[in-house]
Amino acid sequence: MSSSSHPREVPAVPGPGPAPGIGRRRLLRYGAAGASALLATGSLTGCSSRASASDASALNVWDLFQGGDGMLMDDMIRAVSKGSDGFEVDRTILDWGPSYYTKLAMSAAGGRASDVAVLHLSRLAGYAPGGLLDPFDLDLLAEFGVTEKHFTPAVWARTKHEGVVYAIPLDVHPFIVFYNRDAAEQAGLLDPKGELAPMGSPKAMLEAGKALAEVTGKSGILFGHVTDTAQNWRQFAALYAQTGAAFTLPDGGPAEIDTDAAVQVVSFMQQLFDGRTNPNNLDYNSALAGFLGGRGGMAMLGEWELPTLRKSGIPLGAAPFPQVFGEPAVYTDSHSYVLPHQANPDPARRRQAHRYVAEILKQSLTWASAGHIPAYQPVLAEPAYAKLDPQSSYADAGKVAVLDPPNWFAGAASNFQNRMCQPLQSALLGNTSAEKAVRQMVREANTLLRQPNPVA
Amino acid sequence: MTTTTPIGAPAPTGEPPLAASPGRRTGRRGPGPLFVLPFAVPFVLFLVWPVLQGIWMSFTDSSLALRDTSFVGLDNYAEAFGDPDVWSSLGNTVFFTAASSVPLVLIALAMALLVHSGLAGQWAWRLSFFVPYLLPVTVVTLIWTWLYQPDVGLGNELLGALGLEPVGWLSDESVAMWSVAALTVWWTVGFNFLLYLAALQSLPTVFDEAAALDGAGAWRRMWSVTLPQLRRTTVLVAMLQILASLKVFDQIYILTKGGPNGSTRPILEYVYDVGFTGYRLGYASAVSYVFFAIVILVSLAQLRLFRQED
Repeated sequence: MSSSSHPREVPAVPGPGPAPGIGRRRLLRYGAAGASALLATGSLTGCSSRASASDASALNVWDLFQGGDGMLMDDMIRAVSKGSDGFEVDRTILDWGPSYYTKLAMSAAGGRASDVAVLHLSRLAGYAPGGLLDPFDLDLLAEFGVTEKHFTPAVWARTKHEGVVYAIPLDVHPFIVFYNRDAAEQAGLLDPKGELAPMGSPKAMLEAGKALAEVTGKSGILFGHVTDTAQNWRQFAALYAQTGAAFTLPDGGPAEIDTDAAVQVVSFMQQLFDGRTNPNNLDYNSALAGFLGGRGGMAMLGEWELPTLRKSGIPLGAAPFPQVFGEPAVYTDSHSYVLPHQANPDPARRRQAHRYVAEILKQSLTWASAGHIPAYQPVLAEPAYAKLDPQSSYADAGKVAVLDPPNWFAGAASNFQNRMCQPLQSALLGNTSAEKAVRQMVREANTLLRQPNPVA
Repeated sequence: MTTTTPIGAPAPTGEPPLAASPGRRTGRRGPGPLFVLPFAVPFVLFLVWPVLQGIWMSFTDSSLALRDTSFVGLDNYAEAFGDPDVWSSLGNTVFFTAASSVPLVLIALAMALLVHSGLAGQWAWRLSFFVPYLLPVTVVTLIWTWLYQPDVGLGNELLGALGLEPVGWLSDESVAMWSVAALTVWWTVGFNFLLYLAALQSLPTVFDEAAALDGAGAWRRMWSVTLPQLRRTTVLVAMLQILASLKVFDQIYILTKGGPNGSTRPILEYVYDVGFTGYRLGYASAVSYVFFAIVILVSLAQLRLFRQED
């Protein structure tokens, strides 16, 4: 869509000069116009909203929502842009992953960042202490109808650094399970209401996997983790938190982890993905493809896959990540809004930025249709949300949210997650024992902790 | 673009520039420097300056985040030499260079000899050998990711059809780097092939004909006449290839992100991980300058070796 700016910009430069042929100035101008058109098409891949890049008053917003999420965000921006006090939004969509966080950090370090940006809450500890973010003015937010009481305590607690709020969560997006309702029913895993019954123990989960494998004739539970930089860690973190043990990364180290509990969890994962009832060598896409193709009865994925899965037409159910150890816990992250550091913020624009965040939060019902759980609680109470199926069936996941242990190097798309995934992958593939994998995880965490903190 | 019109076109001295003796500086007052500017300015701005800046940064604890930078002397270098990840990723880079360069030279030579020997349908061979080189890295990697799929990939399908066990192309630590090398050979061998083919086509035919008259067979002529004449090309191809392989990053980053268990992480990915994902620009600079020094040493050694042979 953004390419439409291409033909428009070039003829917009008439050659005013009397010079016959192509004069120097004219050539320069064409060159500049061409270059800027190229730049514009390069940076705005995908669909952009009704942005007017030239308008200095437009609010600059950076996010990483592509595909279905991106389109929903377009809808939400369109909704808040209506009316006399609607926003003029200049939205920049960047690719998810380490590169997004590099760009965000660099733009904030330069002091000329966008007015509002999206940040995974798990990354806050790498951003807030270094001065890359500016704090929110809670009074101002309250003026626009958003206050602390609108969020769950588990999530709100993570928005602060040294008691100051730096992020306003838009959603929580847990790691959950999707299941094929027909397969689960045949395997006898549903409760009388037709929902996935609680598992309750590692043994029950292993048996569920076997039962599902029998029904599908192929595999029971699908999980893609090979060459992935997050999946293994998400699963481990959820199960580990269920044991009630804590994993903390105190500055300077060493990492505090209950190795017995960790070994227990990794052994369980090895049993679950033994390569027979459940394949242990899938990557993310083949797990997704396998589930869509009916080769598995259940898949462990992020809720953000909901739109893809629903389109496939399989009888789809969703549930919070099964509780198999002592305490309920679900691995989660949260897309939140932050104010990247600006060297000379304009108070009027800052005010608009606060109002924008508040207004977008109130559009969360649209956002929920992608599968995300709105962080803004009043939306969860609306009858329209209860009607969203299967979203409402895992809404409780937000209450038992477990995020990465806070430290500058942890969080979404971080080195930490990648380094934790590597030994776990070896363990799942059967190349190493659970004990060795856990020892390596501790070693990796300690290596990261020993590094001088670049944001403190 | 900025200099397409001759801003100072008439040479101020009126001296005919072509008549000036080539050795003397005074005679070179023409617009020459102006034509060099469009290259020289970006070169200084985007290459020379960052290189200097990078050296400076490697002596500081510079970070991507907003904070004061302080001079730390040789601390970063000391850390780099004691960092097992530096050594393991350096080892991976060297392994990849060996595993990819040798086939990339030999296969290219074999392909060029085959095509040059007068196979039917030459254009089709040339095209099919060279076309993969034109594909962007993302496309190549995507194709091979599917080939390497453990479950539905063509690689394991074929092995299965032959009655062999499936291989963890990207998940087995001892196999993954070979998988990357295979992809790289398929993707880039066309360039070396082209260099060899060009060299073959420009060889004088007299030696070959003389040898044939003396009764040398086809193999004999290839070993004793053609290949020795290709030595210069081989030196060039090998040097270019080794330098290119040392720089490996993109296909690995997309294919395996350095996994499994760091077994395919090249040194440049480590620099990227530390510097950009981990914000530690100072340390990343130091690691990259250690690598830079190694590359320079390798190049010098190669030059020396090949010069002696010549």
